[in-house]
Amino acid sequence: MAETEPAVKSKPRPIMRISLFLVSHSLLFSVVCCTAGIVALLILPLLAKNTYISENALMPGSASPMLSNDDASDGYRFYNRIMDLDAKTTIAGNEIPELIAEHIKELDGEVNYHKFLPISNKFHPLHFFLGPDAGIIQENFTCSSYGINTVGIIRAPRGDGKEAIVLVTPYNSTKITTGEALSLGIAYSVFSLLSRVTWLAKDIIWLASDSKHGEYAAVSAWLRDYNTLSFGDLKLQDEMCSPSISNGFRRAGTMAAALIIKVADSSMEFEKDNLKIYAEASNGQMPNLDLINIVNYLAVHGQGLQVRVEKIWSLLDSWWLKILGQLLELLGSVAKTLNPQWKFGIPVADYVEGSATLASSLYNQALGVPTGPHGAFRDYQVDAITMEISPKFYSSQRALFLLRVGRLIEGVVRSVNNLLEKFHQSFFLYLMTSPSRFASVGVYMIAFALLVAPLPLVATSLFSDASNSKPEKDEISSKSLPTFTSWKWLSAAKTVLFVHLWSATVTLLPYFISKIPNSTPSFNFLSWIELSLASFLFMYAIPGSFSSSSTTQPQRNEWALLKSVTIAAAFIGLCLMSVINFATAEIGALLLVPMCLTVLPLRLDLKEKPVRAFVRRACNVLLVFLGFPPIIFLLLKGALDGFSSVGFGDFWNWAESLWAWNSATYIYMCMVHLPCWVLCIRTLLHRC
Amino acid sequence: MEEKTKAGSKRTKLGFWKWAIASIVLRLILSYFSKYLNLSSRPEVSTPLTSLRRLAEGYWLKQLSISPYSGSMYHGSPLLLSILGPLTAKKIEGHASHLLCSLVSVIADFISAILIRATGHILVTAHGHSLKALGLDKLFKDTEILPSGDIAALVYLWNPFTIISCIGFNTSPIENLFVILSLYGASAGLVPLAAFGWVIASHLSLYPLVLVIPVIFLLGYGLDAPPRKLFVQSNLLVGEERSKDQVGVKNKPIKTTNFAWRRVVLFFFWATIWITYVLILCAISMKDYGGLAEMFKRTYGFTLTVKDLSPNIGVLWYFFAEVFDFFRNFFVIVFHVNILFMILPLAIRLNHRPCFLVFVYLAISSMLKSYPSVGDSALYLSLLVLFVNELSEMKLSFFLFCGYVGVSLLSPVMHNLWIWRGTGNANFYFATAMAYASFQIILVVESVSAMLNYDRKIRKLCTTPL
Repeated sequence: MAETEPAVKSKPRPIMRISLFLVSHSLLFSVVCCTAGIVALLILPLLAKNTYISENALMPGSASPMLSNDDASDGYRFYNRIMDLDAKTTIAGNEIPELIAEHIKELDGEVNYHKFLPISNKFHPLHFFLGPDAGIIQENFTCSSYGINTVGIIRAPRGDGKEAIVLVTPYNSTKITTGEALSLGIAYSVFSLLSRVTWLAKDIIWLASDSKHGEYAAVSAWLRDYNTLSFGDLKLQDEMCSPSISNGFRRAGTMAAALIIKVADSSMEFEKDNLKIYAEASNGQMPNLDLINIVNYLAVHGQGLQVRVEKIWSLLDSWWLKILGQLLELLGSVAKTLNPQWKFGIPVADYVEGSATLASSLYNQALGVPTGPHGAFRDYQVDAITMEISPKFYSSQRALFLLRVGRLIEGVVRSVNNLLEKFHQSFFLYLMTSPSRFASVGVYMIAFALLVAPLPLVATSLFSDASNSKPEKDEISSKSLPTFTSWKWLSAAKTVLFVHLWSATVTLLPYFISKIPNSTPSFNFLSWIELSLASFLFMYAIPGSFSSSSTTQPQRNEWALLKSVTIAAAFIGLCLMSVINFATAEIGALLLVPMCLTVLPLRLDLKEKPVRAFVRRACNVLLVFLGFPPIIFLLLKGALDGFSSVGFGDFWNWAESLWAWNSATYIYMCMVHLPCWVLCIRTLLHRC
Repeated sequence: MEEKTKAGSKRTKLGFWKWAIASIVLRLILSYFSKYLNLSSRPEVSTPLTSLRRLAEGYWLKQLSISPYSGSMYHGSPLLLSILGPLTAKKIEGHASHLLCSLVSVIADFISAILIRATGHILVTAHGHSLKALGLDKLFKDTEILPSGDIAALVYLWNPFTIISCIGFNTSPIENLFVILSLYGASAGLVPLAAFGWVIASHLSLYPLVLVIPVIFLLGYGLDAPPRKLFVQSNLLVGEERSKDQVGVKNKPIKTTNFAWRRVVLFFFWATIWITYVLILCAISMKDYGGLAEMFKRTYGFTLTVKDLSPNIGVLWYFFAEVFDFFRNFFVIVFHVNILFMILPLAIRLNHRPCFLVFVYLAISSMLKSYPSVGDSALYLSLLVLFVNELSEMKLSFFLFCGYVGVSLLSPVMHNLWIWRGTGNANFYFATAMAYASFQIILVVESVSAMLNYDRKIRKLCTTPL
């Protein structure tokens, strides 16, 4: 940034003076900032705010539910018929869709079937930048490989057909479970109510999606066809497979919101029926917080369900979190005695639970893999969540259960129905610490900003040191001749550029490796590493062939320039990633920032005490060791799940799932983290 | 940006050709796959003025005997329509039609690079001559004068901005070519060529109009050199000394300080001829569609009144989307006068360095023009590298490099966030546009101050007795 000006000049401007001050004290500043960043992350559960309904038009719970016992018992009857059908017939296929279609027709709804083929997982890491596309792969298929979604539509009596609300009930058409049948029953009872009501202003689409090829695939196939105009590809095969099914694709308007309803198997763990909300879509995108808020509000206050979001269970028993929680509680109570207005302390149990939820929220967002079929909606900018309800009942209470959940769905639909525009009022970027508490972008960004703030400062200070401390030649030449001192960074930049180019090849290698038939994950992983190493040596040989002239005199401070450019690259990469997927950037920064900041050449002699030098070197080696993505992954997995279950090929599987889901985390890992790690090793092994 | 500068330094001609051909091959490969890259729809790459897709649309309208400018699709020159239009419609067996146009872009880029290289050679020679004339050549003997032409040409060929705009299916490589042609013509003393390049470049994209001032300086005063004052002084000094020692050597070519009016008049004569010629051609092709007035309204009028407010990397679209209609005309004038305001002071301060002045004007206009694209930055960045010898002490180069890299990566991400994901909004994208503009300002400020410092240093060396 600012190259230090000679002191003889007139006093520099305040902003320059501040930055010069910060740069000259960069060590202290980076220690303080990094610590503060980690502390800020740890106290996020304290800083989380209670959720509130931000959009006034939603008005959840203002109308009394209209879903009656009759509707619920209709739903229950429907459930029974499906279960009978399942028990009776053994053929997989059209029976359930036909039953659903028949019922929808009885309710005067429009109905059609949507047939789709599973799309094989393709390597498409750059998909992120291109937006959703409409690629359908034609492969050899048979009739049974079709999935059949049943789509029912109620036209709103007060609407103009421009907007719609979607209810999705995934079920497996080959083997339907009780839970899936129950979710169909719930949807049916709500649908039958909605077909009669007069207040509906948005069309209702009920998508009974066939999860034969996975819940996500069915929904995303339907959404793709819904949003693309042409629907000619599959029409040709209609007659061949099932002539009885009509195939006119029906549409309603743009979707305001989507609810995916799932019923889990009954659990005895909790005293109430409980509702679990899944919200993370691809690349850490979240639906608008208002949608979660109304579901949470109606479930808790309307139907008395217990609402949960995912958490990492193994963290609940961790001793260090408990100690931290106690410390924070103590601090809170001390603060309260000082000034009763300060109320930031929370009980230990809340803190631990909040942290576990936050960790899970961070992890799921960082993965960039959607946690359910709602992820498909987010690709089309539709807010969607999955509601998984685990009932606590015995079979006699099923009608009652249908009534309660039906009323919840009705309330949510009625609330969304009030919306005049898209969800926009509340947050899109947030982390959940409990169903009713969240940390918004303004809060969690602080932790990240503190963590990465030292990077530019240290880069600047290293850079200015390296550029200014050139040994002075004779007087005349240093005074008069162009010495290109301000361009010395170019050779370091070239190294960094080559390493990044190499990382691009590493990113693309799995595409070729995954084509090898019948290979185990461990073999794939090993060949990935070997090919990467080979390509690295190859790349190393190429620049070596022509850069010989530039390295005539190895400069003393070459490593400092290299480190400075590396840190700058890491800074750009982290900032970029924090925009794409905050959680990845946060976790990445936790690993990358200490490694990049502390790394020094092992052979560097700083004239310090031997013990201190040893500690420094050990620290460097440890951080670099931990910085290698597979190692940190396997270690974390071992720490959370126990080391016995960790296999060598797990990393490959994990990476494969990342690129199959077009996660930007994969690109981050290969094109930001990996090159910085390699450059850190380069600095570590530098000859001084 | 400058990553290749080092690679190009101290290299022989062989290295240049090797890398130049490699870049051409890379372009050809990428343009074959450009359908998948989908660069032509990126707002950073193609603007309403330069997009070839719009040109194809205009061509089809013209084929149907409708004015190519109807429907506010096409806003380029009618000449370009006649030349490139058939190429957009033609297909080579089975391949998409973009290949031929990409080929034209690749050729244009290559010619531009060659011209930059030639200009650089002329500049380096002039640099050496002027140092010799000042008697400073002994001082600079142990430092090597870098072949700035080779480096600049390689930077032009390998700059990611150039590559992207080359395969991005738009006309900015061609516009850049004519700007460079004019610069080359002026620095090589080829008056008709300079006039031709200037007229065509201005006709295609309007903003090169301001380059008339540096071109006049180039033709009038000659190439970039230290301030003329110094030559007068050193002429006296050297003259005195040498007349004592050896009388015969005195008649060697010493930099003239007179303004060559004849060449400038010639330039204007040729420029008039070319303008008339271009206008006649335009009038012929626009005969049935409203004539020249329509063309001026739809091309230059469109550029100056900022009609299209779709997002781009400039700063004007956001401003004019926000501003009340009542003030619109006022601010249109303000924004364009901004460019003109800077012309005069810079011309006075840098009149001894006309080629550098070209760089400064291009950078300023690419910052403030109504529909900028990365192709404009590609042009001025490689012109900057022409002065690598003079700018060796430039400050903040690393900061600027990081800034350019960061902004050019962040901008598509912000666009994605706004358009595809819906979690961002226009402010996110505009923030990167503002950052980009600030970096360009810093680049201009730093490079101009480095250049002035260099001149000061030369003056100091001249005045201090050796």
